[in-house]
Amino acid sequence: MPKINLSGVEKNYGGNSANAVADLDLEIGDGEFMCLLGPSGCGKTTTLRMIAGLEHLTAGEIRVGPKVVDSVVEGVFVPPERREMGLVFQSYALWPHLTIERNTDFGLRLRKMPKAEREARVDQVMKTLGIEKYRDRYPSQLSGGQQQRVALARMLAVNPEVLLLDEPLSNLDAALRLEMRAELKRLHAEFKTTIVFVTHDQWEAMTLATTIAVMSEGQLQQVGTPNDIYDRPANRFVAQFVGNPPINIVELDDGNSEVSRRVNAYLGTRFAELRDAGSIGIRPEAIRLADAERGVAEGALSGKAEVTGILPTGGSWIIELTAAGEKLFLTTHQSPEVEVGEAVTWWVKPKALHVFDKAGQRVEAADRATRPAKLH
Amino acid sequence: MSGPAQTSTKPAVMAPRSASRLAAPTRGQRLRYRMKVALREPTTTIGILAAALFAYLIVVPIISMLSDAMRVQFGDERRIKQDVGELTWYYLDRVFLSRISHDLFWEPLVNTLSVAAGAIVLSMLVGGTLAWLLSRTDMFGRRWFATALIVPYMLPAWTFALAWTTLFKNRTVGGQPGWLESLGFSPPDWLSYGQLPVTIILALHYSPFVILLFGNALRRFDSQLEDSARILGAGRLTVASKIIMPLMRPSLMSAMVLIFAKCLGEFGVPYVLGLPVNFDVLATSLYQNISSRQVGVGAVLAGAIMLIGIITITIDARLMREARRFVTIGSKGSMNRLSPLGILRMPATGFAALMFVLSVGLPIGTLFLSTIMRVPGQFNLDNFTLDYWIGTNLNTVALQTGILLSPDLWNAAWNSLRIVGVASITSGILGLLVGYVVARTPVRPLGTFLRQVTFLPYLVPGIAFAAAYLSLFAVPRGPIPALYGTTLILMLALIADQMPYASRAGIAAMTQLGKDPEEAAQIAGAGWFRRMTSIVIPIQKGSLTTGILLPFISGIKGLSLFVVLAVPSTDVLTTYSLRLVDYHYTQAANAVVLIIAGLAYFGALLGQKLTKTNLAQGLGN
Repeated sequence: MPKINLSGVEKNYGGNSANAVADLDLEIGDGEFMCLLGPSGCGKTTTLRMIAGLEHLTAGEIRVGPKVVDSVVEGVFVPPERREMGLVFQSYALWPHLTIERNTDFGLRLRKMPKAEREARVDQVMKTLGIEKYRDRYPSQLSGGQQQRVALARMLAVNPEVLLLDEPLSNLDAALRLEMRAELKRLHAEFKTTIVFVTHDQWEAMTLATTIAVMSEGQLQQVGTPNDIYDRPANRFVAQFVGNPPINIVELDDGNSEVSRRVNAYLGTRFAELRDAGSIGIRPEAIRLADAERGVAEGALSGKAEVTGILPTGGSWIIELTAAGEKLFLTTHQSPEVEVGEAVTWWVKPKALHVFDKAGQRVEAADRATRPAKLH
Repeated sequence: MSGPAQTSTKPAVMAPRSASRLAAPTRGQRLRYRMKVALREPTTTIGILAAALFAYLIVVPIISMLSDAMRVQFGDERRIKQDVGELTWYYLDRVFLSRISHDLFWEPLVNTLSVAAGAIVLSMLVGGTLAWLLSRTDMFGRRWFATALIVPYMLPAWTFALAWTTLFKNRTVGGQPGWLESLGFSPPDWLSYGQLPVTIILALHYSPFVILLFGNALRRFDSQLEDSARILGAGRLTVASKIIMPLMRPSLMSAMVLIFAKCLGEFGVPYVLGLPVNFDVLATSLYQNISSRQVGVGAVLAGAIMLIGIITITIDARLMREARRFVTIGSKGSMNRLSPLGILRMPATGFAALMFVLSVGLPIGTLFLSTIMRVPGQFNLDNFTLDYWIGTNLNTVALQTGILLSPDLWNAAWNSLRIVGVASITSGILGLLVGYVVARTPVRPLGTFLRQVTFLPYLVPGIAFAAAYLSLFAVPRGPIPALYGTTLILMLALIADQMPYASRAGIAAMTQLGKDPEEAAQIAGAGWFRRMTSIVIPIQKGSLTTGILLPFISGIKGLSLFVVLAVPSTDVLTTYSLRLVDYHYTQAANAVVLIIAGLAYFGALLGQKLTKTNLAQGLGN
């Protein structure tokens, strides 16, 4: 049974502004780690705040379990303080006038938990997050990472059934972010809480989430597992947003493009039914270079190009190819044996082609055509 | 953990629409939902109550006063040949067009404008130089001067006026002569009274404005801008005229406009120094009309002052917007680079010291000496006495004891503390509430209304505002009895008068705090009341203290509101000392003014200690 259910949710901040969130249907399963992923301004934080009850809806309905907590049509609005959720703010929002301990036990005091029980609970949560030695300090005396842990501890103390996280790691430095990611994953396993996590960082979403919901301009683009999102992007936006370096997009109706002509010819001879497609996407790691021992694989799409740049990224390389003025990027984990200026032959296996129609939606038929052997 | 099986089996495309689509909400449903959200918390209710309160305390008095200007007032029906309350042009005509309009309005207007212009020019010269010396040079003792030179603004302006009379009073007026007179020089009228002293005193009093505003702008000025011009080959003069001055212009203009607005409402100084030679400014002309019960004419004058005030502030708002266009927020380039003064270092320090002596030492010293001397200006040992402070059985008509033993003083002091204290605490709390509502209410027009209505008194000089209160509360209206002569009217007027600062402080504090800490408490399960008591108010403790203390200080030394609304039984320290001036109890009056100055100064120091901030800046309000 889904834990949280959003249907037809719409948010408009008034005036003539476009909908911040438009007609959103989303199910978040019990115990799921759901990432809302998208560029800034896509409506993901608004969605999170609507789930928490901090923003009201313009239309639609939100249910938690069987209970309607927010509905315009039914005139229901359960205030945030009665939704029994936890929310970790991007700014942490620790109360500056309370010690770490009082920050952490605030919710428990509100719930009038007996003293002994409360202290035990606070001790346990603080220990789990490794902040017990700061209990008498004030938030301003802690580092960003420590504050972040307090913000988490404060919410975990009341053991919420749903934990909402609004870009909680974005203010941390890279090393700390990695550590906290691992910690969040561990906490999710330990507390078995349903987590909704907002981020613009695809890496974070990929590594943490059990399910990712990609949003753009207030619209839900795709919901799926991290692998789904990466391997079968529902449309060009998702394909381009997820992946670094970004996916190579080749427009099929661009008669001036060498690559475009190659792809058209290739599709025309092998997959006649895909002639009307609008564009294809090729992930950089799917592009290979032909060398003396291993030539172009059987049935692969291929073309000629010049190497115009080699960018080492430490352990892997990004190679820039130029074919008649058009650029393709590929990544490799082996030290490249080519040099800038060298003419090369590139190739891609058919199943690595992402085919999109003219509206930018994924062409399902193409998957069946190009991946006949693979069973789902 | 149950995996999200349902999502991975789904084709990876747009999330499918659920079979049972929700119907789009109707207009009525939307409204019901929004009402539910809006009224769920007391924020909106508080906002509506506050809006009603301020409408009554601020908007209604002003409207009532303006309508007085157009209606026949009691006592004038014979002269105007219309019934009381009928519409009339009489008062407008009398103030602007009639034969006496020259004395009523035009001359006071010219006087006001010329005094203001003189004060602006003088304070720009003095304050501008000092600001530059303080912020951009290696003058000696800059830190000490930075505080010391702000002190004149912490003292009531007419402290200087009384000091001036103590020194320069001549035989034109009765009572004790000034020091110069008793030393045998008879100062001419133009030096003793009227335009010159008023201008000089206002300039001294308001030059801290220039020091603060211009000095801040100079300090924030990014030296890299200067360096870039120098590297491109510009000389010192070119840099000053083409780079620095244009960027400083908004802050200078803003200081000018503020000084003008302050001069417009300034009552005490022209009252003390102008009266003997019939030198009237708009504020004193208004006061005289009100005290001779010329309500209609007073209303027109008050309206005129208000209008000039509004125009001024509008110009200021424009300038500030212009200033924001090229804010030069200091990066690391704004390191305080100091110009070496070289041989001028000593003279510059001397100049600053001289200004301090003239604007603080001399007036305070004169006033103090005057209170311990029987005959002014005679420095014989037997001429000194503490009688005026603590003497008994003095040979005077009234006030037969030293001022400290007079019950009137303690009564006035108690009134001051009580009235100003209650008003400051109330307006501080109201300001925070307004800030809260403005920052939080989902009903946006309510927030806008509150912000604007609480700002309104800022546009109205105190004396005009007092006139408005007089007009509304002098007679019983509906359930509200006549409040004239009560302490309540003083408190109400003071609260309303302080609201611009209080609400601005409250809004700034709440906006700066942001929603997050409160929302975090909400998520943790705290209801509205709990959030206020354990999150919002504790966090805002500091700004609440400032928000109470600042109005308290300016209220203690304030005169223009009280002079219209106070009666002898509700005397506060300022009106009491003014009364003593009128009765020519010079020493006693000066002693009271010293007490006020002391209260204001040590109050400011205390505030500075308590809040660990530089209150001098806040006093710029």
